[in-house]
Amino acid sequence: MTGYMGKLLRVDLSAGKVWPEPLNLAYARDYVGGSGLAARYAFDLLGAETAPLGPDNPLIFMTGPVVGTAMPSAGRFSVCARSPLTRLWGESNSGGFWGPELRFAGFDGIIVTGKSETPVWLSIIEGQAELHSAADLWGLDSYDTQTRVRDLLAEPKARVACIGPAGEKLSAMAAVMNDHGRAAGRTGMGAVMGSKNLKAIAVHGKAKVPLADPDGLRAVVKEITEGLEEDMSAMSIRLAGTAGYVDMALMYGDAPLRYYQQAEWDDAGGLSGVLMTEEFLNRGVACYRCPIVCGRETRAPNYGLDQVDGPEYETIMAFGGLMMVGDIEAVIYAGHLCNLYGLDTISTGCTIALACELFERGLLTAEQTGGLEVRYGDALTAHRLIEMIGRREGFGDLLADGSQALAEKLSVPELAVTVNRLEVPMHDPRAFSGMAVTYVLSSRGACHMQGDMYMVDTGQGPAIELGVLPGDRFDNSEEKGRISALSQAWRNLYNAMTLCQFQNPGPDRVLQALNAITGWDLALEELMVLGKRIVTLKRLLNLRLGLTRADEVMPELLQQPLCGGSEGNVPNVEALLAGAYAEYGWDLATGAPTPDTVTDLNLESLGS
Amino acid sequence: MAIKFPSDEWIKELSSRLNASEAYEKSAKNWEGDFMFVSEPDALYPETVYLFLGLYHGKSPEAMLVSSLEEKPAGYVIRAPFGTWRKVVEGKIDPIQGMMTRQLKLSGNMMMVMRYPKAAKEIMNCVSTIETDFGD
Repeated sequence: MTGYMGKLLRVDLSAGKVWPEPLNLAYARDYVGGSGLAARYAFDLLGAETAPLGPDNPLIFMTGPVVGTAMPSAGRFSVCARSPLTRLWGESNSGGFWGPELRFAGFDGIIVTGKSETPVWLSIIEGQAELHSAADLWGLDSYDTQTRVRDLLAEPKARVACIGPAGEKLSAMAAVMNDHGRAAGRTGMGAVMGSKNLKAIAVHGKAKVPLADPDGLRAVVKEITEGLEEDMSAMSIRLAGTAGYVDMALMYGDAPLRYYQQAEWDDAGGLSGVLMTEEFLNRGVACYRCPIVCGRETRAPNYGLDQVDGPEYETIMAFGGLMMVGDIEAVIYAGHLCNLYGLDTISTGCTIALACELFERGLLTAEQTGGLEVRYGDALTAHRLIEMIGRREGFGDLLADGSQALAEKLSVPELAVTVNRLEVPMHDPRAFSGMAVTYVLSSRGACHMQGDMYMVDTGQGPAIELGVLPGDRFDNSEEKGRISALSQAWRNLYNAMTLCQFQNPGPDRVLQALNAITGWDLALEELMVLGKRIVTLKRLLNLRLGLTRADEVMPELLQQPLCGGSEGNVPNVEALLAGAYAEYGWDLATGAPTPDTVTDLNLESLGS
Repeated sequence: MAIKFPSDEWIKELSSRLNASEAYEKSAKNWEGDFMFVSEPDALYPETVYLFLGLYHGKSPEAMLVSSLEEKPAGYVIRAPFGTWRKVVEGKIDPIQGMMTRQLKLSGNMMMVMRYPKAAKEIMNCVSTIETDFGD
């Protein structure tokens, strides 16, 4: 067996037991790794009755075959469970070094079930796993937790994934943090970890990932690395991080302003990633073996901080454009607070911005907020609210469950800009119609990492050989919907391998690397079969968890045309979905895969 | 009357239209950096052509066809075969998409280019208003 360490660690926190079990190689061959493989394991463990914050909800940390190899930008891992935010399949992934280090410690993944009676943390060092009391760690922020765990282990090279106070308080927006400020942010995986009384997982080891064809991998890695020198997208990310996209996003109308309701704003120029680079950047920060270096370390002198992780594009727009804060330093600080408390910056920023909108409409009053005036442009109040969310204090307790819960509490569910209860990220589907498919069909709710037509239609990372073709961003045809589905399947394979989506050497080179690592003899067209199988598995899981076709709608506010960069475009969701459904082989009436699709994708064993 | 591309007359016309554009002036008010558009030979047009476009603070002070890069050094150089330029001028290739997909090759200070995508869009808006003769 090559490409895998061949073992999972099982953890039953109710019994206080840990044990290794062999990796199911048939599952690995069909679902690769990352969130694909995690979904396959979850399919055996999750039922409609499984409570997201109950002990039976399996919390799965999973790497993929490329992780920890010489493949560039392969430092990621997935965290998966039933989501307390969406109540559907939840997955999130993060970069840094933790994923590779888990493999060096001897495991491809970890499945955690049960609930510890008291807080614990888990160490996995050189193949040996052990649970420890976390009584002294409970209450610490995510940075102090990582430092303290390394001290307790007396192992400065250990990599730590953990929750902050928000995870302990079961905020549905809580993240799993790792490697300082890296976050598996979306869908509330930090709350699932908190519900199990699991504060942290430290990993360290020296094992190597077994490779089928080391020379073949070396050769393709050389080609990939050389190719990056001509990759304009990678070049711009290296220069200014993902924040470098801010100006382009504003030009396209992709960057949402004033809770998705404003097209242009003169002060938005202050959020430019180029300006941030010139005025607040300390250095670029890379994940494991990544030559792109998208990570940023910045400073915020007005807040007494000389070292801050981030912010990246999503954080900048969530705490900047969405709530009309044009002060990039205030945005840097907002991102820092989220890192400390262990909160997803997208969901947190969106929820506070929604509170601004509701306050402005008179639907939320100072009486309900504990006296706080929650206004657009007020960065200080936004900072205060992040801390209140992290501690579930006062009005923060209501915000801690996310945008949809807030809107429902105030009897205006239609005003929450969510799809399947997950906050829409900072890519407006009115600027790139294909994103409507991405959001509506994403297995975890609105997500730009489950397909990225905003990248495809700006020429960044298209997979031409697989039919993921750049085109007219306002195209609302079934054909565009079909291409969006292909993009989604391709990115689901990325999230299974688990390869960073900024590394786009083209399907041929990805295929060469995957075959060299695993010893598989995959053909190019099989890549898309893998991607579609993974998407369809997650669809089956979500149908079991209660998803219906009626849930596949765009939020009302995103159906209002805007002038500016999106030029009045509103995606024709039905036409786009018709194309996507046809490409996936799903029944447009029921939302389920057709019997032929089940057969074609070898999914019969999963039952009806 | 259509203006031949690539030619001195065509680049001067673009310069003139940029100077008349309030949208361009606003979007590029702090821009500093001249462009050289290099049309490389292909089956449709066998010669290399250099079009210089001066750009400064929202205006285009000069523009001309030159014989080499050295004749009029520019901070930014964009290269593509004639056939690709034709598609850009006709609006069939978005210039940003073209650069990202390596159909257009840019050299120069990338950080500045990333700061002013709207100016690039306004230039393309002006290009689209020029009736162009590609020698068909």
